[in-house]
Amino acid sequence: MKFLRRTLGSPVLALVLIILVGAWSMLATIVPQGHADAPEVESWVAANGVLGSITSAVGLHEAFGAPPFIAVSIVLMLSTAVCSWDRTRVAVKRGRALRAGARITPEDLARTTDLAVPIDPALSDADALARTTSRLEAIGIKVRTEGGVIRAVSPWWSVWGSPVFHWALVLLALAAFSGVLFRAEGNMVIPVGESKPDVPESYLVVETGRLHSWDGVERSIRVEDFDPAMKKGDLELGAVPTVSVLDGDGEVIATEDVYPNNKLHAGSLSINAPTCGLTATIALETAGGDSLPQVVQLVAFSQEASGGTEPLQPLVASNNAGQVLLRLMATVPLDPRGDGTYGEWIPKDPAAHIVLEDGAGTILFDGIVRTGESAPLNGGGSVELLDVGWYAHLALVDDPSIPVVYAAMVLALLGLTMSLASRQQLIAAAVKTDDDGRSLAVMMRLWRNVPTDRAEIEQVLTEALGRLPEGENA
Amino acid sequence: MTLEITLMWITLGFYFVSTLMFVVGVIFTREKTTRQAFYVAAAGLVPQLAAVAVRWVRLGHGPYVGYYEVANALTLFTMVLFVAAALRNTRLASIGVAVMPVSVLLLGGAMLSDKADIPITASLASYWLVIHVIFANMAFAAFVASFGLSIAYVLRNKQGSVWVDRLKALPDQLRVEDLSVRFVLAGFLLWGMMIVSGAIWAEESWGRYWSWDPIETWSLIVWLIYAVFLHLRYTMRWKGTRLAWFSIVSMPIALFCLIGIPTVYNTIHAGYIGGMEGQLW
Repeated sequence: MKFLRRTLGSPVLALVLIILVGAWSMLATIVPQGHADAPEVESWVAANGVLGSITSAVGLHEAFGAPPFIAVSIVLMLSTAVCSWDRTRVAVKRGRALRAGARITPEDLARTTDLAVPIDPALSDADALARTTSRLEAIGIKVRTEGGVIRAVSPWWSVWGSPVFHWALVLLALAAFSGVLFRAEGNMVIPVGESKPDVPESYLVVETGRLHSWDGVERSIRVEDFDPAMKKGDLELGAVPTVSVLDGDGEVIATEDVYPNNKLHAGSLSINAPTCGLTATIALETAGGDSLPQVVQLVAFSQEASGGTEPLQPLVASNNAGQVLLRLMATVPLDPRGDGTYGEWIPKDPAAHIVLEDGAGTILFDGIVRTGESAPLNGGGSVELLDVGWYAHLALVDDPSIPVVYAAMVLALLGLTMSLASRQQLIAAAVKTDDDGRSLAVMMRLWRNVPTDRAEIEQVLTEALGRLPEGENA
Repeated sequence: MTLEITLMWITLGFYFVSTLMFVVGVIFTREKTTRQAFYVAAAGLVPQLAAVAVRWVRLGHGPYVGYYEVANALTLFTMVLFVAAALRNTRLASIGVAVMPVSVLLLGGAMLSDKADIPITASLASYWLVIHVIFANMAFAAFVASFGLSIAYVLRNKQGSVWVDRLKALPDQLRVEDLSVRFVLAGFLLWGMMIVSGAIWAEESWGRYWSWDPIETWSLIVWLIYAVFLHLRYTMRWKGTRLAWFSIVSMPIALFCLIGIPTVYNTIHAGYIGGMEGQLW
């Protein structure tokens, strides 16, 4: 145990670990990042022969989730914790010394002298103290004289910068790690005016940390309004949805116009709105008389797709046995621009290209339908386009660790600032008289950010209090 | 040529002349020339500040986006720190021989690059941009100051070196080393503030405070490099030439992080400097 603690607290190990993290990160930026089957990764590995197989084997293409990186990071965190503990013990000791130094008396100084500077007999005690004061101040040490003791004692908290900084780094690592476990992050698409409960099924894609629980989540997300081209002064904000978060009773908890740098916050949940798309609201009536009065097809913009849009996902109607009865796919042909691209906007004459097939794959309808129009299906029934509107594509993150991460970052910076800026010194001096005559008893602890050193202090005091040159008086 | 560009060329002229004068002053141990070189460098700040102000008023934002603006701001902060440090302690003026070439190269690069007006888009319109960029500029300026002092230290550290005489105006070696470490300490803190402000902004803007984007990764690498420097100095008690070399080698890495990474890597930060995407693969 002792060996482990000593090893983890070794400055050499800390250095090696920092260098390993840095070197691994550097290598990670040189090779493409992504899953092994991602096209860039696959082609890079194939093009780089042995090197490619090595980078794949060590997990360098998913560098920051790879076992070597995680292992080194954990050891670095443990090493930082041990180092923080050691620094804390030092800070406690120094803090005590500083508190004692602030109350030190001439008698204490006579007992615990670090340095005794003989005083010229021609100098009175008051002169000796006055000379000491002026010489110390000349080399940048501001002193106070009280009860026959000259003191330059830093406040007790001045020694806590380094431990606070290192503990904050440990806290930051822990918070970031717990964030991975507790976080849920995903994308949800909601047509304007509609809401969806915050449950995994409502998400298009969702990644959930192992310890994230959906049980306590009773809220829903609603897109209240949508401005496809909002402007704020001269600034074009683009498509801006107004999003609300509602509690289990349907009461609005938070509402916000969501645009870049202005996301919605509701507790640990935050919502961005990176993109948007169109909705085609369709009514169906089958030959058998079954009707679907309102089906919403989400349509994403795509400059590659014919007509400029593609269905986000096909709509499927099934019976209770899970048998597919109908498949519907709709796109909204956009107005072409002069340069061969499509305007990402509701077309002037809104229409939808609807493809409907039955469970056997027989096409029931494949054609364009305009808003408000209906068209007959092959074999009976009809399809009607009710409306073309907008949906908001929302990026939701539920991460309770973020405030802790921020607190750790701020603490780390505070600790670092204290450690860099605050002077850590304990200098106390008083005149003492003993069998060897009169001398200035000095206690000196110069730990950090002191503009001078022990040798210089000794030299200036010896010069100040030593035998006076002839003709000079006190 | 617009007023702003004319002022920038004048600035570059001042800095270039100052660099030559520093070289002449230091190599031929002409203290008067070195002093004049410093005044020329300081005078260069006037047209540079005016040019930045003209552009700021015209575009409605500070020098935050595009290679031209970013390099211009890095130079400006470096020069302001150098001039302020040398005014406070006149004996530091001779490190201009190492600092000025960095400024001239950066500003020269800026003048040869595209100077098109880049508007602040919605994704950049945040006060975090200002905070983030200011910390980056200040940190870089501190690293350049340490770089200059370290070069002077290394040059003077050989016994019998002609540079001992050439750089005799500088404070003694211990003081130069101490100052160099102090600038690294300041830069380390400021770089940390840049990372933290960037993380908060990224969380606000993209929903993730850290995404291992190349520029985020490299900013962490630079911070770790200087963390190693400080560990070597304070826990391993490194001193002298090898510590100075560490500072000399680290500064270009910080510069690469600030202006190189967005140019060569496929990064979400490429937009701020007008970089090309996917050059490495």
